[in-house]
Amino acid sequence: MQIERRLPRIAVQGLTGCAGELLVILENLGSVLPFVQVASFPFAQSKNDLSDIDIAFVEGSVSQKHDIDSIKEIRARSKWLVAVGNCAVHGCVQSSTCSRYKAKELVEAVYAKDSPIEALDAKPLSSYVNVDVELSGCPIDKNQFLAVLASLLKDHLPYIIDRPVCLECKMRENGCVLIEKNLPCLGPVTAAGCGALCPSFEAACYGCFGPCKDPQLNAMATVLSEKGYNLSDILVRLGTFGIPEQVLSNLDVKR
Amino acid sequence: MSNDKEETTKHIIEIPEITRVEGHSAIHVEIKNGEVQNVMLDVFEGTRFFEKIVVGHKYDEIPHITSRVCAICSTGHVLASSFAIEKIFDIRCDEITNTFRKIMHLGMFIESHSTHIYALALPDFLGARDLLDFGSKFKTEFADWTLLRNLGTAIQSIIGGRPFHPVNLHVGGLSHIPAKDKLEALLAELKMAKPVALKTCELLLKFNPPVERTTKPLFMALIPEDGAYGFFGNKVRSSNGFESDIQNYKEYLAEQAVNYSHAKRSTGQGSALFVGAMARLNLFGNLLQGDASAIYKSSPMAQGDNNSIWNNLAQSIEIVHAIDESIILIEKILARYLEAKSLNASHVRVQAGTATGAVECPRGTLYHHYELDTAGTILVADMVTPSAQNSWRIEMDIKEAVMQSSDIHSEQLQNNLETLVRAYDPCNTCATHMVSISYLEV
Repeated sequence: MQIERRLPRIAVQGLTGCAGELLVILENLGSVLPFVQVASFPFAQSKNDLSDIDIAFVEGSVSQKHDIDSIKEIRARSKWLVAVGNCAVHGCVQSSTCSRYKAKELVEAVYAKDSPIEALDAKPLSSYVNVDVELSGCPIDKNQFLAVLASLLKDHLPYIIDRPVCLECKMRENGCVLIEKNLPCLGPVTAAGCGALCPSFEAACYGCFGPCKDPQLNAMATVLSEKGYNLSDILVRLGTFGIPEQVLSNLDVKR
Repeated sequence: MSNDKEETTKHIIEIPEITRVEGHSAIHVEIKNGEVQNVMLDVFEGTRFFEKIVVGHKYDEIPHITSRVCAICSTGHVLASSFAIEKIFDIRCDEITNTFRKIMHLGMFIESHSTHIYALALPDFLGARDLLDFGSKFKTEFADWTLLRNLGTAIQSIIGGRPFHPVNLHVGGLSHIPAKDKLEALLAELKMAKPVALKTCELLLKFNPPVERTTKPLFMALIPEDGAYGFFGNKVRSSNGFESDIQNYKEYLAEQAVNYSHAKRSTGQGSALFVGAMARLNLFGNLLQGDASAIYKSSPMAQGDNNSIWNNLAQSIEIVHAIDESIILIEKILARYLEAKSLNASHVRVQAGTATGAVECPRGTLYHHYELDTAGTILVADMVTPSAQNSWRIEMDIKEAVMQSSDIHSEQLQNNLETLVRAYDPCNTCATHMVSISYLEV
């Protein structure tokens, strides 16, 4: 008797975002297809079945009511839910920390009061549902994505580095663009995973993977302030890719 | 009685989500007494307010923030915003920096066009059911897509740092000059990919449009700046002879908000515009060189066939152009590599001002407009994306296709409508960036 092996079913779904993670996953399909069945991936195929999902990868943030319905449905139908990309993990540039406006303010300023178009403050998935794995990045690193998938296919929670970019930067033996070139590098407070990409291109890290674990924001802001950067500009810069607003408003910067 | 009954004959065609496009959109068509009453392309991607997000940020952050409007054309957003800001600061980048930017931009075209053609549009013509079907039954096409796409991502990774959301392109120039051996490796890869690009054109030439076109579209594109086929410029031309400087874009692109969609709709002097690869070929195809020129001249487009489906073929011709042009430009840099290596990014002298920058993106003309204060902080921002410019034209095409159809309930018509929409390569993540919607009654 032959028992047919069922391939694990994955779903790749997008809420509100730039489709970057969908693109990373699409571009790495060749490595993935032998091991999984792509049950749903509306960006890339027309026949989709969002039932009995083993692993769901969801990009984008929750920015409208339609997104809330989608993420709840995906959560209910999936064994593992992986938030992929800065939007899904932190809210990215769409979040009110980057724009410094509430969605309500934007809508009232821009749409008529009776507009049927709804907009919510862009929030990460974890604001609405339980998320099993959070893989940040803008975009996500393809090797990290493949490692997460490989772990989950073995029913293991993956290891995702939460140390700062500086660690990877030192390992690449780059010169320090913050100390040596006085660039506003956010590497000390940003999660690694990119391989210290910007400093390797002699540029300042701008924080696109979101905050690392226990980011030392007071020290970061103090160093930049000592280098002559205006404190309010520093706070705007820090808030761009996912450091929460309430954390920034409570900073105690030595001047 | 029967007359009354006839008058109330009403059908609605609904496609709740168009798959294989970027972002989320739907089609609603209302038909009454056999006449199409209403066509709505509903972009229901969440609104993203980019024009408001960037206000209060410093000029050097803007390319990196606006790149997040759209992954697949992020290089275009980075360059359009840099061009606008450099105009305000009166910076003119040196020739080598401009050459690197052009190669980077061509890399985006190769990546974006090949992904659209193979992964999003082609399954309609091949009859691939899903991704597994595409990967296993159409191994050659899957391999060709992989090769071309990898070429586009390699160009953007070597010059920009990664396949999209580049880290090496800044206001004023590059922060790092790519290594010589990596540029040489790119040359070899480009030459290897050329036959695959030619094969892609041949493949697309074979697929006849499933629906006919009855009206003539109004094409618009940037006039290439140096007299050769290209994607940078400061003036536009449209197929009715209209020309203008891009700084007047608000006058000739009257943007309208529609109450059924999160995307604004642009008009070209009051008419439905068609921007993108087909528009560029229609207006400037005579500037193409070599193989790209020969294929274009032998295509139905050069004979005046304006069917939107040929936009897929137009994209494949642009891949051929992008490969040939990248080879020429990389050779130019390699010949002056020592000079390139000693380059520093232009010194940025911050000053207040207002300016507009534009580039031709894979899907059409992209405009970025900024007003900065004396500290280089953004006061006002505006962007007009290609997909917003094409949406009215798409709706008109849908109407034409429905009118031609003998059976409006058929699955075939629904498939044809989706194929038609996909040919425009619409990017709904781009289209819903906007903030300045003034609400109109329809």
